[in-house]
Amino acid sequence: MFHFVISFLHIEKLKKFVIFLYGYGVVCSGLILFTNLLVGGTKQYFWGFYSLAGRLHPIFLTIFISQIILCVFLLINCYWGLSENTIKKQQIKYVLIGIFIFDFSSVDFIPNYGISFYPFGYGTTALFVLFFAYSIVKYRLLEVNLLITRTSIFLVYCLLLSFPFVIALSWQKQLMNLLGENWWLAPLISSTVLATVGPSIYLFIQRKAEALLLQEQRRYQAALRRASIGMGRVKDLKRLLKLTVNIVTRTVHLKNAAIYLFHPPSGLYILKALKGREDLRDRKHAFIPLNAPLIGHLQKHREPLVYDEVKQRGQDFQDQTLQEIGKMMEGLDAALLVPSFIEEDLAGLLVLGKKRSGKLYSHDDLVVFSILANQAALAIENAQFYEDMKKTHDQLMKAEKMATIGTMADGLSHQINNRLHAMGFIAGDALDTIKLQPRENLPPEAKKVYEEMETSLGKIQDNVKRGGEIVEGLLKYSRKADEGFAAIELNKLLDASLEMAQFKIKINQIDITRDFNGRLPAVRGNFTQLQEVFFNIIDNSYDAMVQRKEELKEPGYRGKLEIRAQAEGSHLEIFLKDNGMGVREKDFKRLFTPFFTTKLSSKKGTGLGLYVIRKIIEENHGGKVDFVSEYQQGSQTRLVLPIAM
Amino acid sequence: MPKLLIVDDEADVREFAKRFFTKRNIDVTTAAGGQEALEIIGRDKPDLVLLDVRMEEMTGVEVLRELRGKQDNTKVIMVSGVNDHEIIAAANAYGVHEFIHKPLVLEELEKIVLAELAK
Repeated sequence: MFHFVISFLHIEKLKKFVIFLYGYGVVCSGLILFTNLLVGGTKQYFWGFYSLAGRLHPIFLTIFISQIILCVFLLINCYWGLSENTIKKQQIKYVLIGIFIFDFSSVDFIPNYGISFYPFGYGTTALFVLFFAYSIVKYRLLEVNLLITRTSIFLVYCLLLSFPFVIALSWQKQLMNLLGENWWLAPLISSTVLATVGPSIYLFIQRKAEALLLQEQRRYQAALRRASIGMGRVKDLKRLLKLTVNIVTRTVHLKNAAIYLFHPPSGLYILKALKGREDLRDRKHAFIPLNAPLIGHLQKHREPLVYDEVKQRGQDFQDQTLQEIGKMMEGLDAALLVPSFIEEDLAGLLVLGKKRSGKLYSHDDLVVFSILANQAALAIENAQFYEDMKKTHDQLMKAEKMATIGTMADGLSHQINNRLHAMGFIAGDALDTIKLQPRENLPPEAKKVYEEMETSLGKIQDNVKRGGEIVEGLLKYSRKADEGFAAIELNKLLDASLEMAQFKIKINQIDITRDFNGRLPAVRGNFTQLQEVFFNIIDNSYDAMVQRKEELKEPGYRGKLEIRAQAEGSHLEIFLKDNGMGVREKDFKRLFTPFFTTKLSSKKGTGLGLYVIRKIIEENHGGKVDFVSEYQQGSQTRLVLPIAM
Repeated sequence: MPKLLIVDDEADVREFAKRFFTKRNIDVTTAAGGQEALEIIGRDKPDLVLLDVRMEEMTGVEVLRELRGKQDNTKVIMVSGVNDHEIIAAANAYGVHEFIHKPLVLEELEKIVLAELAK
């Protein structure tokens, strides 16, 4: 029992003590068999014969009792040490109850001291063994299969070792006849040989037996390990997820499996892959919300969830949360749920159904699946990263194309504009001709033809106008960068930018204050480009103000843009501070990435604004731009531009 | 009869603009380039010039500059495809009367031209 408690609680320090106790047991057995120090004769009671205590019996009893007390102490100590209601705590409880039952067997010692008392202790011992057996099966105290196998092998091994002695004792005469005086050498040598090779035979048999017993499990565990390693190479996320559920269901022979992955924008765990139970591919099972008790539990404990255990513990502790988790797992048809972490975050869930064999998941299974799930998480992160990278690459290619278009656009737009212009004149003149034509004397059919032509020509003119607007829009992002640099006054620049902005935003709905000295030095820059920069910043601020107004609905809120500036050595520092919505921290580092936009409708933002600003300020002007923001408070852009000499 | 000169390197533009304004009792002449335009302005003294900004041999701004260099204050309306701040600034510096953007619907051009001619 002491050995069990030590192993069960993993107390390494006391392992040596176990060996001592086994030695002590052997000594005691010897004392009982060959002396009367422990057992000093028998006495007849009315219910039968019983042994009497010898001289050393009280010492034996003291050691026995202190051993049990030590076990109980260690268990209780560990029990209080565990703050969470874990399986371990549950297991300790069962062990303690078991020992409590076992304690009753000590009544067996009473008749040892000449008192007539029926030693029913063997009954409680049997009860204790039964109870332990039950807990082992129910609470996975130990790997039952392995335990039974190892014990059986040990027994067989003992039989094997004792075989020569058995032969020697029963066939002594025949051996003496056969081998003469030194007959005893034969059994001695054979037992020595057996004892020498014994351990290796023992290990061999044990390995074979375990391999046979766990053949199936080991096979799929190896397959899963291989799969884990191979995962890193799959770059296509969709394929990777599908592959994972397929491998798991096929190698472990599961009825079903599924993967849920966290989707940050929606805050949901979304069903990404499913095998078996196709009927679960419905709206109800398509996602698990972040606030589901299941998710909270996995995030907190970071351990796989076994359905049977969850259910059992939910009942045992009347735990509402566990019961809810159990129900949810039932809904997902999950016998086992393996969380998958990327650093601290729960990145996904691997849902595993029942094994086709009906067998339960072993402790080793949980370990292997955890490895698999975490490996999968890494692979998924890789794949996601790869996809993101590809996207960014595509975006850059697009930006590059835009730049090429930009250099072409100037000439191109001139050509297109000229065509449109001519077309507009042709249609306009034709329309004019028709309008000037007297129609009173014309037959109705001719009148109708004129009317139709009038409509058509009008439509051509409308299209010319729209074509012109499109060309104008295209030009906005493609102005040549190397056009002249000159000394620019901030006030004039702001005037021009606001003039440009008023076509897009309602300037009179916000307050714009200019807080700087009128005699501020001019900056050296390209007017058109800087106008574009200020226009973009003002436009962004305005959108942020509108967003704050709409989302926070603060009474009396009014958008405000403060513009400050000061000379700082050879540079001018310009601050544009708004009280808009601000930017969420997670979006912050991507702000200057081309085509990244936080503006809700894609119509509102091209995701090019800040990218263009940085390009213009830093690459074209040798200046600097940075941006600070506090969500729901506002943002501030700081521009540093060289002062004109 | 008011005289209008249309300067554009696009033949279609010249042709149809001429047809349009001729119907409004305006004496329209056209020029395909800057040099030709300067000659006509010197010779015919038009009341108004519609001048395209971007032309092959000589830009509209250059034509205007040369014209003003000769102390010629003929009214000029510039027609540009690009909303370019610098061109607008230069054209303003050389005393342009109007600055309009391509593409243009004839009716709008008509209003502007007639208004300038009536001044």
